[in-house]
Amino acid sequence: MYREHDLSYDFLGIHLENPFILSAAPPTDELDMAIDGLKAGWAGVVLKTTSVESNPVNLKYPMMSSFGTAAHKLWGLGNIDLISQYHIDEVCERVTALKRMFPTKMIAASIMGSQKEDWQSLVKQLKKASVDLVECSFSCPQGSMGEAPGRMLAQSVEATEKVARWVKEAAEETPILIKITPQVTDIVEIARALKRAGVDGVTASNSVPALIGVDVETLEPRPSLFGEGAYSGMTGMAIKPLTLRTIAEIARNVDITISGNGGAYSWSDAVELMAVGASNVQFCTLPMHHGFGTIRDLKSGLADYLDRKGCASPLDIVGKALKNIKGQEELVAPCSHSDIDLDKCIGCGNCFRACSDGAHRAILWDAEKRQPSVDAEKCPGCGQCMQVCPVNAIRMKEELDGKVHYFEFKGTR
Amino acid sequence: MEEFEKTLSRQQAAIEAERCLYCYDAPCQVKCPAHVPVPEFIQSIRSGNLHGARTILQSAHPFIETCGRICPEEAFCQSVCTRSKIDAPLRIRELHRFVTDSTDPSDRMELPEPSLGKVAIVGGGPAGLACARELRVRGFSCDVFEARQVGGVPSQEVSTHRYPREVEDREVRFLTSSFVANVRSERVTDVKPLVGDYDAVFVATGLPSESDLNVEGIGLVGVYHARDLLRKMKSGTISGAGNRVGIIGGGNVAIEVASMLREEDPTRDVTVVYRRGIKELKAFKKEIEEATTLGVTYQFLAIPDKVVGNDHVEGLEVTQAHLCGEDESGRCRFEPLPGSSFIIPLDTVVVAIGQRIDEDVFPGLVRSASGFISAAENMQTSMPGVYAGGDAVHGAQTVVEAVRDGKKAAEQIAAFVAGGK
Repeated sequence: MYREHDLSYDFLGIHLENPFILSAAPPTDELDMAIDGLKAGWAGVVLKTTSVESNPVNLKYPMMSSFGTAAHKLWGLGNIDLISQYHIDEVCERVTALKRMFPTKMIAASIMGSQKEDWQSLVKQLKKASVDLVECSFSCPQGSMGEAPGRMLAQSVEATEKVARWVKEAAEETPILIKITPQVTDIVEIARALKRAGVDGVTASNSVPALIGVDVETLEPRPSLFGEGAYSGMTGMAIKPLTLRTIAEIARNVDITISGNGGAYSWSDAVELMAVGASNVQFCTLPMHHGFGTIRDLKSGLADYLDRKGCASPLDIVGKALKNIKGQEELVAPCSHSDIDLDKCIGCGNCFRACSDGAHRAILWDAEKRQPSVDAEKCPGCGQCMQVCPVNAIRMKEELDGKVHYFEFKGTR
Repeated sequence: MEEFEKTLSRQQAAIEAERCLYCYDAPCQVKCPAHVPVPEFIQSIRSGNLHGARTILQSAHPFIETCGRICPEEAFCQSVCTRSKIDAPLRIRELHRFVTDSTDPSDRMELPEPSLGKVAIVGGGPAGLACARELRVRGFSCDVFEARQVGGVPSQEVSTHRYPREVEDREVRFLTSSFVANVRSERVTDVKPLVGDYDAVFVATGLPSESDLNVEGIGLVGVYHARDLLRKMKSGTISGAGNRVGIIGGGNVAIEVASMLREEDPTRDVTVVYRRGIKELKAFKKEIEEATTLGVTYQFLAIPDKVVGNDHVEGLEVTQAHLCGEDESGRCRFEPLPGSSFIIPLDTVVVAIGQRIDEDVFPGLVRSASGFISAAENMQTSMPGVYAGGDAVHGAQTVVEAVRDGKKAAEQIAAFVAGGK
């Protein structure tokens, strides 16, 4: 009925009909689920991470937990999941079947090994199954399958580089992505090691190692398996700012292709990840929460955005925000202060209280009219009042060399 | 009788609490006559600290079980909720009720020795008990004189579908035990004898009697006073009303008795006969809605002229009214349409046109033009040391306003006794 905006482009030589990929996670762990996802409109799948036959996968249930508020239960989702219980032979069969059913979609697989022979044989078998791309998990939060037990492979620069070389050597022309963890001292060092190793790109980044919660009545961690629990990998909305920083930091310093992953919940989140350097965006928590049908809004939201911005291709937005990201010390400080729109103000007094108890005591309160006003002399324009205003009636007015700029609240959709 | 309104679930309450803006100097708290710290107790719901929420409510207000159920929120807290400028006001009363229904009364009240003085409180309703609690907390001992059931109008006259017996028991038992008020089952009609025995007296009798309608036939068998019927039904006695009942009035008592008569016998026709229109009904919105749900019907714009019948009521003759502007107080005026009389066939007529204090009680206390007890801004009556508040002074009002009066009177009495010693 309506014209569909063309969202297609090439990613590492692979055709993508849109930038939205189902990541290596439960939504891609069954063949029929992957089929449904692709039918719904996702541009590709990364099948859940597999391993060699000899590797036992002992899953523990319940594995999921989450945190949030009564109205927003799922700010963060945690799992103590491991890799797939399906081994490489089964996954290769699925790759072949999916490639036959969906020749224009990206059919990728994710692998994890320990020995050089494992990594290389996994890649070679997938190549034979005509996989489009192989992603290597160097960062499963529960995994101790890298070099040092209890650590993630991608937490060691040396191990990351060495294993990445093994993989790329076996992959030859097949694109390789390395999925890394944000929990490192210096993400740039890891990305540089991957660049040296010659892999095609980096998936930034995996779930964040986390302790989802402790029940204050029983002191059981969450999730609780007979009263005991382990650290989870955290995903979902709560981690998006961490992912953005990870992607931006890599993109600002290393010339390497990035697949964005971690915390995107909408088309605009995806645009953010792409604007700081991701060439596509992988999703897991969103379909695990609201299903594969979410792809429709991702596509139409992105198409509308590209129309509005006059962009022909999603590639036009990749890295476009990077030039605006600087070190704090590099920023010029305009003369700034809070600017309250009294027509929008509903008189709740949150700005007054936040400024009084948490900022500069620069907002005055007319108790009679229930109206705030700004003491421009005292207000340095820190911006806390605009964070607490429930109706976004406050913005920061910045002035520099006679030019005025307004910084408005954009924290929620 | 099952309650109309269900308590919010924990999840509903938590989601509703998240809508609160936690306004600075919150209008809801200012508007509440008892100044319940609304944002604070909602904050505690949000954090899952229900006992903390209960303590906040209980500290501000002795009748929290009652007000969580029957407070007309549209008149107080919710009418000024800032959230309504975004979408809709918080369901503050329902959150309040969620707290009282989810927790037991807190027994952590610390009471000083009652050494500061002795106060007589005439009337064991909301105003009297609120005053007694406040005085006890301040270190006074109180004797509460109550001829009827302790608890006042809510206990005696509010239908169990809005204020169930077990809730009332919990509230009144807690109130009369926690601060060790000495309840004396005596009817006081003169405060002078009390003045010598006590350091101060607080008169909070409410309005024990009912106004009469001066029309022909009012003495027929089958004509009742509304509150007599309410008390009868609330105490478990059959009302004795017939199958076609007309209720004269448009206030809360009229609507309440109409609802209870329908509850008592759902096959009986109950019609509220009111001189003005639907918009002018003085009863609270929620009570009108509940009455409608119960099947109460209305005859608006009907001025009662005469109760028709020989010995027994056979009907009510009314004249059609015409609404014509407002009087000085903003009240809607009406006038009869000549020649428009008709008879509503009824076997029972219930009069619910107002309440009063008998003229012969409390000699020596000056009355207002409306016949209520006169009290100054500081709540003192014409007699030094005798204070008055609640419906007895202001005419029929709400429980929370009676509580405000009780608290305020306690403060004034404490100052008075301290000054005299």
